[in-house]
Amino acid sequence: MSTLSLEAVSRWFGNVVAVNDVTMHIGPGVTGLLGPNGAGKSTLIHMMAGFLAPSAGTVALDDRPVWRNEDVYRDLGLVPEREDMYDNLSGWDFVLANATLHRLPDPAAAARRAIDTVQMADAQDRDIRTYSKGMRQRIKMATALVHDPAVLLLDEPFNGMDPRQRLQLMELLDRLGGEGRTILFSSHILEEVEQIAGRIEVMVAGRHAASGDFREIRRLMTRRPHQYTIRSSDDRALAAAVIAEPSTSSVEIVAGSERVSAVGVERVGGVHVQATDFAAFIHALPQLAARGGIRLYEVRPADESLESVFSYLVAR
Amino acid sequence: MNATVARLTSRAILGRRRALLLLLLPAALLVICVLARVLAGAGPDGADGLAAELLNGFGLAVLLPLLALIAGTGAIGPEIDDGSIVYLLAKPLRRSVIVVTKALVAIGIVTLFGALPVLIGGVIMTGGLGAVPVGYGVGSLLAGIAYSAVFLLLAVVSRNAVVLGLLYALLWESLIGQFVPGAQALSIQQWSLAVTQSVVGADAERLGIASAVGLPVAVVLLTLVTVGSVWYASRRLRTIRLTEDA
Amino acid sequence: MSAPEQPQLPPQAAGGGVIHDIGYRHYDGPRLGTRYVQRSLFVDGLRGAYGLGRSMRSKIMPLLLLAAMCLPAIVLVVVTTVVGGDDLPLGYTEYLFNVQTVVAIFLAAQAPVLVSRDLRYRVVPLYFARPLQRPQYVQAKLAAMTTALFVLMALPLVIMFAGALLAKIPFSEQAPDLALGLLAALLYAVVLAGVGLLIAAFTPRRGLGVAAVIAVLLVLSGAQVAVWAIADELGNTTLAGLSGLISPSTLVDGVLSSVLGASSTVVEPPGTLGAVVFVAAAVLLVVGCYLALLARYRRVPTS
Repeated sequence: MSTLSLEAVSRWFGNVVAVNDVTMHIGPGVTGLLGPNGAGKSTLIHMMAGFLAPSAGTVALDDRPVWRNEDVYRDLGLVPEREDMYDNLSGWDFVLANATLHRLPDPAAAARRAIDTVQMADAQDRDIRTYSKGMRQRIKMATALVHDPAVLLLDEPFNGMDPRQRLQLMELLDRLGGEGRTILFSSHILEEVEQIAGRIEVMVAGRHAASGDFREIRRLMTRRPHQYTIRSSDDRALAAAVIAEPSTSSVEIVAGSERVSAVGVERVGGVHVQATDFAAFIHALPQLAARGGIRLYEVRPADESLESVFSYLVAR
Repeated sequence: MNATVARLTSRAILGRRRALLLLLLPAALLVICVLARVLAGAGPDGADGLAAELLNGFGLAVLLPLLALIAGTGAIGPEIDDGSIVYLLAKPLRRSVIVVTKALVAIGIVTLFGALPVLIGGVIMTGGLGAVPVGYGVGSLLAGIAYSAVFLLLAVVSRNAVVLGLLYALLWESLIGQFVPGAQALSIQQWSLAVTQSVVGADAERLGIASAVGLPVAVVLLTLVTVGSVWYASRRLRTIRLTEDA
Repeated sequence: MSAPEQPQLPPQAAGGGVIHDIGYRHYDGPRLGTRYVQRSLFVDGLRGAYGLGRSMRSKIMPLLLLAAMCLPAIVLVVVTTVVGGDDLPLGYTEYLFNVQTVVAIFLAAQAPVLVSRDLRYRVVPLYFARPLQRPQYVQAKLAAMTTALFVLMALPLVIMFAGALLAKIPFSEQAPDLALGLLAALLYAVVLAGVGLLIAAFTPRRGLGVAAVIAVLLVLSGAQVAVWAIADELGNTTLAGLSGLISPSTLVDGVLSSVLGASSTVVEPPGTLGAVVFVAAAVLLVVGCYLALLARYRRVPTS
């Protein structure tokens, strides 16, 4: 049982902040690292795997620092995102070489076991050059599993896999997690994470946006009060109608002012609404407007950043 | 030194096309040497002079740096470029062991394809294991070691390692060295030539074997550059960043 | 531009699917032909050879080499204007021959940029999915490499010419020499581009491509020097002259001196027959490289 701990980790490249003040603890079981492309997932995994120094903060595996400490690789396996391996070796030779590099007491047996785990025994004697994408992915898995590590990091493992291979890998990860290993994989596809990860860590624009049980996060996202700014043909009448709705908790009218913008004269201001039940409110709003003969010009969530996380989680 | 790293590295360097190129260079040298022997004959006086000229101009100045460039950068450059080096780095293995092993493999290959053919070529032309073949053999061996280490370091530090190595070997050592004598003080070729010169001994001056630096300085600099390159390459490999762009 | 009317897709019967017309239109207007594709490929290749439009890291090497080409020319010009004199200390064609090492490094460094990536990342078949024929692809790449090399060699010559005029050397004396120099640059460019691209097209890994191009050029020039040295030892001037055939740069140098009367630097082709042999060899080399490249790309699958 091992835990990867990140304490206040940041990483910047020149002026670009790729990972911003992230604290997370990854324990046994399968954890999904979720986030859109460019959210800093790869940077984070590179830091966890000891290939990148944190600009600030620490990354540790059970209190041992990961950076500049080659010994952690005894307990850590990494499946990199890139496809390239030693193309002119056969799958067997490559996994065996990895076992030997780990100085395992019986490298051949370890290689045998790892190749069986990923079900590559049939193709093990072919050169890696001839492998399909899914086969490459499995051989990469075998090299990462060959020393029976307590922690396994996988960077976008499902990329380019067909549904069957995807299912196989999911089952494998599920099994490995069930054995008490600490498994972290990154993905930008919700369904993948949903199906196997007990826990998720959500990264958005380099920040740690959410963490915990997947369903719990989803619930938190939908149940929290939502704020909207609404512009309409009759703000006052709309406000009166909206406050009568049970799904709202407060309404505020903001005095309008006119602003000249590129598209012409634009009115700013309107009605600020705080909704307690997001789904009910969204359902009721158009009906209210229709009943009162009010035209809605714009309905905009006031809380952009969290909203984008939310819509990301639900809509993808 | 790690046997598995050595095996992976030598397989990578001796991959099909790279091996062809590695063979082409010594083959050209040997063909020229045979031609020289057959056409110009092995006169008691002329053979040594022509041998020295060829082994210097084609062997030490061209063959050695090129072979070392192919082997030294090829030992680690492609792996860094395509990211497959992670399979070596993500192991409980000291980075210095990786670098030292790769340097030794490169040196072995340069010795086999470079220094040895120079020695053989010398023997072919002079008709015996005299001072000239041995001198150039030893000089080539040392040059191969130093060049390999330097080019390995270049491959760790830069993606443009091969071109940078060419600029050093062809522009700095050969072209600029001709016009700016000071440049020759910082030239692996000249340091190795100093060793050759001392092995050949009294005949060196008559045969036109003259290095720009003295023997003690040459030996110290060769050692320093080799050890320093390997040390710094190990250091850089500990903090190497594996970026995604190729 | 008027687009033809698109037929509205009728809504499907209940229960079935429906494709909504969201306004996509076919393009039926005139298309730019393969000439345009070829020209784009040429421009892209030429810009790529100097790293233009690419990252800073790709620009450093070619520009450094361009600077290395021009620096000696600038030194020559400064020396001529300061010291004075009635001619440049080094002629245009001699200058070109003396900086062949730099040209070779440029070729080695940039030829793989033009062809290796396309092959390594398997995008060549994508080009041929366009209405572009294989010969046109090869021609575009060859033209780009040739032009890049020509620019590399012409720039220092123009600098020398400008310097000569600054030093009050008469225009009428310099202009024909410059013209000859530029012609020489073109000849070098054509011959070397073919050789470089051919080797690079067989070595898809960039680092290896660089080494392969330079190795071949150096081995050939080393062999040339060796044969010349042997011939010299034997006192065989015919063989010494013919040794120029071995290496591309001495081949061009031989053509220049025997046909165009440029002052030769190393080899003197023996007599009129020698001149014919050199010209024939040069033509054979250029055509041979082109045909070999065609053969190389014929092996690239279309899909």
